[in-house]
Formats: sequence, C-alpha cells, structure tokens
Amino acid sequence: MSPAVVARELSYSYGEHVAVDGISVDVAPGEILGFLGPNGAGKSTTIKMLTGQMQPDGGTVEVLGLPMRSQRTAIQQRIGVCFEEKNLYLSMSAAENLRFFARLFGIAGFDPTSLLDRVGLADRAGDRVSEYSKGMRQRLMMARTLVNQPDVLFLDEPTDGLDPVSARRIRELVRDEASRGAAVLLTTHDMMEADDLSDRVAFVNEGRILAVDTPERLKLSHGNRSLRVRLRGSDGAVGEQVVDLDDPQIAGAMSEALSSGDVLTVHSEEATLEDIFVHFAGRGLDG
Amino acid sequence: MRPAVVSTIVGKDLREFRADRFFLLITGLSLVFYPLIFWLLPSTVDETLRVGVVQRGLDRVVAAVSDGSDGLAVVELSDQATLEEALLSADADLVAGLVFPDDLVADAAAGAPAQVSLLITADVAPEVETALAALANEVALLALGEPPPTNLLSEPVVLGEDQVGDQVSLREQLRPLLAFFVLMTETFALATLVAAEVQTRTVTAVLVTPATRADFLAAKGVVGTAVAFTEAAVIMALIGGFATGAPILVVTLLLGAALVTGIGMVAGSFGRDFMTVLFTSILVMIPLMIPAFSALFPGTAAAWVQVLPTYGFVQTLVEVTTAGAGWADVSAELMLLAGWTLAAFIGGWVILGRRVATL
Repeated sequence: MSPAVVARELSYSYGEHVAVDGISVDVAPGEILGFLGPNGAGKSTTIKMLTGQMQPDGGTVEVLGLPMRSQRTAIQQRIGVCFEEKNLYLSMSAAENLRFFARLFGIAGFDPTSLLDRVGLADRAGDRVSEYSKGMRQRLMMARTLVNQPDVLFLDEPTDGLDPVSARRIRELVRDEASRGAAVLLTTHDMMEADDLSDRVAFVNEGRILAVDTPERLKLSHGNRSLRVRLRGSDGAVGEQVVDLDDPQIAGAMSEALSSGDVLTVHSEEATLEDIFVHFAGRGLDG
Repeated sequence: MRPAVVSTIVGKDLREFRADRFFLLITGLSLVFYPLIFWLLPSTVDETLRVGVVQRGLDRVVAAVSDGSDGLAVVELSDQATLEEALLSADADLVAGLVFPDDLVADAAAGAPAQVSLLITADVAPEVETALAALANEVALLALGEPPPTNLLSEPVVLGEDQVGDQVSLREQLRPLLAFFVLMTETFALATLVAAEVQTRTVTAVLVTPATRADFLAAKGVVGTAVAFTEAAVIMALIGGFATGAPILVVTLLLGAALVTGIGMVAGSFGRDFMTVLFTSILVMIPLMIPAFSALFPGTAAAWVQVLPTYGFVQTLVEVTTAGAGWADVSAELMLLAGWTLAAFIGGWVILGRRVATL
C-alpha cells in the first residue's frame, strides 16, 4: 500500500534560524505516526508544510499521491487538521462551527449531530463555544477535524492540558479513525501518549528526525534486557537483584531471586521513550 | 476564488456580526441617534440681515430706518473698499452692503439721478436683494421728504461664487458628516472582526480547508462593503438624503463603503485586541474626518484637504444633496473617490493577506 503522506528533505528557515532541516517521513494509511520532540523542535513547522499552510524552502510533499505544490486545494479537501490553539468561533455554537466548516468542504445537508455525539457534545450542540470548558473545546476541535471524513489527520498536541477523561476520549477517537483507514500524524511532547497511541514514533530535534521506529523496537533496542527485583530479607533489610533475561539459566535465576526474601517489586529494565530521546538528542522532551 | 466558498465565509461573518453585542449596540445607537440629531437640528438659517452701509450725512436717517426694521442690523463702514473687504471676510458676517453717494441729497434736490450701489455676497437670497432695494428707497425718502430719483444698480455686484437662493442649513451641512460617521463605525466593526479572526487564528483553520486566502480576503471585502453600505444607506434614507440624485448617492455610498472596508482590513491586520483596533482605527480616521468637518463650513476647501481620500466622498454628498448636482458636476469627485477606493482596497488586501500568510 502506498503511503498517504510522503515528505522528502523538507527544509524551512525563519530568517537565520533553521526550523526544519531535511526532514523525510512517510505515513501509511491506517497508521499513527507519533512526531515526538520538545517545543521548538520543528514539529509544528513540519505540519504546516505538510498541510499546505507553508511552502517549504526545499524538499517535496505528497499527500494521497498528490503533489502539495500544485494540488493544494485537492489535498486540503481530503485532510483534517487539529491545531494546538483552540481556534474555534467562540460566538457561534458547536453545531454552527461544524456546519460552517462542512460548507467550506462543499458538504451538502451536513448534520452535526452524530459527530457531536461521538465527542460527547450532542447535548450542548446549540450552546455558544465561549461557554465551553477547555476539554469541551478540544473535543469540538476533534469533531471539526473529522467533518470531511478525512483520509489523513494531522493532530497537533490534541490532548495537551486536558483532564484524563477528555484525553482518553480523544485517544479513542484517534484510534477509531486509524482503524477506519485514516493516516494519522500526531505531534506531541507527551511520550506516554506517543507510546500509547503510535504505531511508529519519529524523534524530532532541532529540525531533524533522529530516529523512526515502532515504540517497542526502540525500547527493546535501547533498554537493558533484565528484571530488577526488590526484596526484603529475613533480617528486614531491603535489597535488589538483577535477572538477565538473556541468561540461559533464567528460570533458575528467577526462582532463586524470588525465594531469597519477600518480593516487594519486579520491574523490567526496558527504556522509556524519554530515555531514548535523551540518548539521541542529549536533552529531554521538556527542554 | 470560488463564489460558493466566499459566500459561506460571508454568511459566517454576518452571523458573527449578529452575535456580537457590541456591534449590535453601536449599530443600533447609530441608527437611532444619528437621525435624531439630524432632525433636531434647525432646518432654516438665521434670517437677521447684517448689512454694511457706506454713507455721509445720512446717519440720522439710517439709524431711524435700522431701528424701525426687525431682522435688520446696520453696520456703518467708511468706504466701499472697506465694505467689500468686510463682505468677503467671515468675521464681519455681512450678507450685503449699500453704498450711498456722498452728494445724494444735493443731486436729488437738483433733480439729478443718484445711484446707490448694492453689494451682495454669494449666498444671498433674491428676496434679500429686493428688501435692500426697499431699504435704499426708504433711506432716500426719509432724507429728501419725497420719492428720490435713485437708481439702484439693475445688476448687483456679486462677490464670490454666486449661490443665490442656495443657503445651506446646519441640518443639511451635517448630512455628509453623519454618512461619514456611519462608515467609520462600520470600519471599526470590520477591523474588530478581522483582528479577532487573526488573533484567535480561526483563519488558519479556514485556510487548511479548500478555502484559499483569496476567498477569505474577498469575503472580508464583501462583508465590510455590504454592511457599511447598508447602514449608510439606511441612515441616508432616514435623514431624507435620497430626495435628489439618488443613483449618484448610491454609487457614492458604495464607493465610500469599499474605501472604509480597505481601511478596516488594514486596521484589523495591525490590531492585537479591542483597544489596539480602536486606537489604530481612530488614528487612521482622524485625518479622514477633516473633509467631513470642512463641509460644515461652506467655501472652497484647502488644497491639502482635497487630496484626502474622503474628500471625494464628502464633496459629492454635499454637492448632490445641497445643490442638486448631477453626474457631470461630480464626475471629478467621483473619479477621485474611485481612485482612493481602489488604492485602499488593494492596500487592505495586500496587508491583510501578508498578515494571514505569516500566521
């Protein structure tokens, strides 16, 4: 299956500052690609080039097999973009917001009810958005992103600052859309979210992609294949034992470790995405 | 640019206008108070005539005539040159002058015809001319005791541009000012709408749909022009502005609305919030108001006022509503207005377009 998004050697500078420096990335239909990096890494600028908001200084973008440079409007007809800013029309209701965007996409007879129901806002459809909480506005942003049943979704920090319930609802929506076959490019600096949602993650720092792979492969290749067991001995002292998972005698080693005292905790020593990012970038995701 | 997309954005903007309480308030106040102010102003001019008189030896007679006439104020002057100067000066506030010859009584006694000169300013009504002729006769009658062989000039000397019978009441002078104020109000409303769209970045959400920047800018142009024109036309109708030259006035209001829309797009591009939009709008509007205020003081506007963008708008309204001017009379002003409108619209389009592109 050909990729839904293909970017090659994208570059963009704000004056002297190089924001994006040769980024190449593919996203397949039905795939969620997590774009992971700290603020200022170049994620949002890349998204702007992939969605036709900006012309790259160099490189090419193809979305759904169409070149962005010459087919921007045709591409924008088939993509959905969820911005980090809650850029909704506050003086209009949720239903009016969705109807307006549906008309821009040329969708006749659009009924916002089912979409608002999906994001849990059907009962507040007629209320002005200015009366909505932050979580409700973000859910409406997601609903707006889905108005045209897009083949590609660009989601910029879609759960940033949300309460756990709203964040979970949005993650479910993202998974549903990927299951439907939409390609999803998700930018975030929340490594837990990236780990939870993404089929692959791309680490972005200083305008470059440092690594791209599945979260599992990254964690396995950069972590220790071992278990750390914390125990309380018969004398009451707390100690630790490390069990090597590649040890041919692992069963015996494990049994010995577990029988040498009261087991307090057992942890695998696989790396987190944050550890791996630090390994590549030399800085954390919050930096 | 696609008309369906533009009309969708226009519909959304109009819905936002309707939902904006501040906009509704200022629009409602404009519709009520501007006509109210207009109709409360006097529709007539002050009819007291201040007449300059040059005479020798007729003081008693002139004083007697002056005292016995309501609505007549006589100002004595030393010679004809001084009188002419006073008539042309706004400070003296004289509408006409009479110059009696020095030897009026002697000539009359000898049976020789005497000539009294009547000098009038440009905006004197014909009935005033008649009244002054009667005044001259009365003075001579009192001085001589019998009807004099006076000979008032059959062609009075008119000083300045002849506007006989065309005095403009304060109410009529205010008409272009009110129309201009309405357009200003709508400029501010559009600037606020544009600034909000830029600051909240709703425009970026619009521009990742099939809507293009040209669609967005065209919609703002249509909304601004339509709203400003509609309100200005309603106000003009309420203050009886369409009684003469309605087609010319419609074109003028349309051009004026497009002019202020271009200005509103510029002001909205620079505005960060309500206060900066207000500040920017006022900053731009102050010089543009000068032609409207100059309409309150009839006469030829200074050259620098005539190059201001709103001069063509105001002057056309003044000439059509107060002097019944036709297309040919105001073609120069309309061309000037059209030129400025085009410049303002292109300027607004480019500046707002750049602002949107850099978000």
